[in-house]
Amino acid sequence: MNNLFLRVSIWVYLGIFFAYLLGPLVIMAITAFNSNGFPSVSPWECFTYAWFSELFQDERILNGIKNSIIVGIGTVIMSVTMGLAGALILTQVWPKLRATYYTIVIAPILVPGVVLGISTVVFWQRVNNWLGLGPDSILADGLFLTIIGQSTFIASYCMLVLVARLQRYDLTLNEAALDLGATHTQAFRKILLPFMMPALATSAVLAFLASFENYNTTTFTFGDYPTLTIELAQKVRYGISPAISALAFIIIVLTVFGALTNEALKRRKELQAAASGDTVKKVDGGFRLPAILSRNPAMIALIALVAVIGLSTVNAMSHNPAQCIADVKEERDMQRTLEAEANLRALAERRAAAAAARAAEAAANGEATEETAPATGGSSQTGGTGAFGNVFAPTNLDGAEEEPEAPEEAPASPFGSVFDPGNLSTAEPSGGN
Amino acid sequence: MKNGFLKNFYQHNGKVMGTALLVIISFWIGVLIILPQLSMLDYSLREYLPSGEVGDYTLKNYRHLIYGAEGASDPYNYVDLKVFMRTIIAAICVTIFNLILCYPIAFFLGQVAKGMKLRVFALLLIIPYWINEILRAFALKIIFGATGMINAVLIGMGILDEPFDFIRADIALYAGLGYAYILLMVFPMYNVIESLDGNQIEAARDLGAPWWRIHARIVIPYAKPGISSGATMVFMLSAGALAAPQILGGPSSLWFTQIIYQWFNDGGNWSQGAAYAIVLLTSCIIIVLAFMKLFKVNMGDIGK
Repeated sequence: MNNLFLRVSIWVYLGIFFAYLLGPLVIMAITAFNSNGFPSVSPWECFTYAWFSELFQDERILNGIKNSIIVGIGTVIMSVTMGLAGALILTQVWPKLRATYYTIVIAPILVPGVVLGISTVVFWQRVNNWLGLGPDSILADGLFLTIIGQSTFIASYCMLVLVARLQRYDLTLNEAALDLGATHTQAFRKILLPFMMPALATSAVLAFLASFENYNTTTFTFGDYPTLTIELAQKVRYGISPAISALAFIIIVLTVFGALTNEALKRRKELQAAASGDTVKKVDGGFRLPAILSRNPAMIALIALVAVIGLSTVNAMSHNPAQCIADVKEERDMQRTLEAEANLRALAERRAAAAAARAAEAAANGEATEETAPATGGSSQTGGTGAFGNVFAPTNLDGAEEEPEAPEEAPASPFGSVFDPGNLSTAEPSGGN
Repeated sequence: MKNGFLKNFYQHNGKVMGTALLVIISFWIGVLIILPQLSMLDYSLREYLPSGEVGDYTLKNYRHLIYGAEGASDPYNYVDLKVFMRTIIAAICVTIFNLILCYPIAFFLGQVAKGMKLRVFALLLIIPYWINEILRAFALKIIFGATGMINAVLIGMGILDEPFDFIRADIALYAGLGYAYILLMVFPMYNVIESLDGNQIEAARDLGAPWWRIHARIVIPYAKPGISSGATMVFMLSAGALAAPQILGGPSSLWFTQIIYQWFNDGGNWSQGAAYAIVLLTSCIIIVLAFMKLFKVNMGDIGK
């Protein structure tokens, strides 16, 4: 009983946790496809790819992506190099110095990004002045400052990743190479670097991603080269648009894609390692591909993702949101005018019925024409103004219970919806369609 | 002694490699880490001259934080001090909230989940972390907006009559800060808890310990390095956050980093901004060290 309660509460907790973690991202991704100008899900208007094309026409976003990539590449080169040097020295440093050294190289991770950005700008400005260079020298350049500022702390991340791998390095390999006559540089290049390759690749990816999403440091250093994150922040601060959701959707898909690829490759390697212990037939048999698929859910998910992306791209080519948006707009306008029109129609029917009744009445009492003439005159007048419906028509007494509605809606109805501004724009195209 | 180390170092790495390593590391530590911080400290102690020249030494910039501008009507700079206190207290609250929220998932991933389940959960945790910080704040802005999801649900359920302004009430800001750094809390804890021998828990259970005592006596003491390292990171990052307060903060409330930002960009007084940044940095470090002393954690455990 207690066990069951615990189990249920764990799953409830997991549900809440992942809803908090993933829910906002899912909702943001969905809003990218809603034609509503404010990013939202609940008043769903219509499925559109328009925000994506708006995104790709945004010069500032494209320029930001370009700057981000340049900064990212520079940061990767600098921080992986410094991280590797830092890791190598950490394994060799004089033991008494190690704790201090470790604290210093880890500190940039904990120092607020704002502080790093400010100190970078202040320091290099001073160096620039000290060297007597002008404000357009490379030391005051936005790209340079951003790369330097980001590398300060991203190198620490890289170092942490590299140290983990370096601890498994067999130092005797190095010694063997040196004994066999290799120079230190050769030993480094031919033995240590290949061994470190997986960790170097991981740290390079981490460094690029960290650089790409950095805001706090970059916001002080970017100068004339706003990165994508800076552009996004400015857009988000001064008004939000579903085009940003579209960008978020692309980034989410790329992230999921990367994570799944990584997972699938890892799983495949594991399976191969496991299979290498089996008979040759099992490894090289004709059923290899399905076997890999059946035991590699990440690969299946990856293929499914690629298929969905492909399908939706094809769909985007043929999907015509213009029709859809016009429909939605028409629908919205329709809704606005529908009640008015319905009332108008009801009014017209009632009027026609009244006229018919009156005509019948007139036919029945043929001699009472002087009395009906003003009545028909009255009815033709109500056709013109109509503001009070047929309230004053003498024959309308039998339909009295319907009447109270008419005066309320009537002011809009007499002119149809001719003066409704929305009606003018949509009535013609919808007729044309 | 130092000479001996250098000789040893060169013997180990060779002349070319050894020199390259030393040059690179001194560039990183000296030029990128230490000198800029010292330069900022120096800058904060000087009079600001808009011409870019170096002014005289003064404590004016620090005095401004406490007493406000000279000739101000209040005896103290209540506005900035209030923002500063609010930032620190809110960052501590966010840290505690994240700790409570993340401990169960770290334990679940580290001890309970196995194989396939573990992989899926790990993926689900990692993916949001690589989405841009700005976009994550944007996602929360969409949800917490006046016409957002949460208001729609609350109104639909009849709890609210009209949209509640989550942004003005700063609820969106706290949710956003917690959201932004949630994984930095999970992973250090997970790494430590994962290395805990499951037999210890089993043994405690066999001896009749209730589940909460197992956590209090075995898991939490063991996970202390992970907990403190996660808490340190979340606290430092949320106190130093800039994106979330800028996007999710209410119109009338400020975060201390926003004041620093204003001194740099709008106010145009870099020395003042540098002084405020130094205050933020040192007070964060002092608070972290105090908490570590309180819970008896070593500095060396952080970052592992």
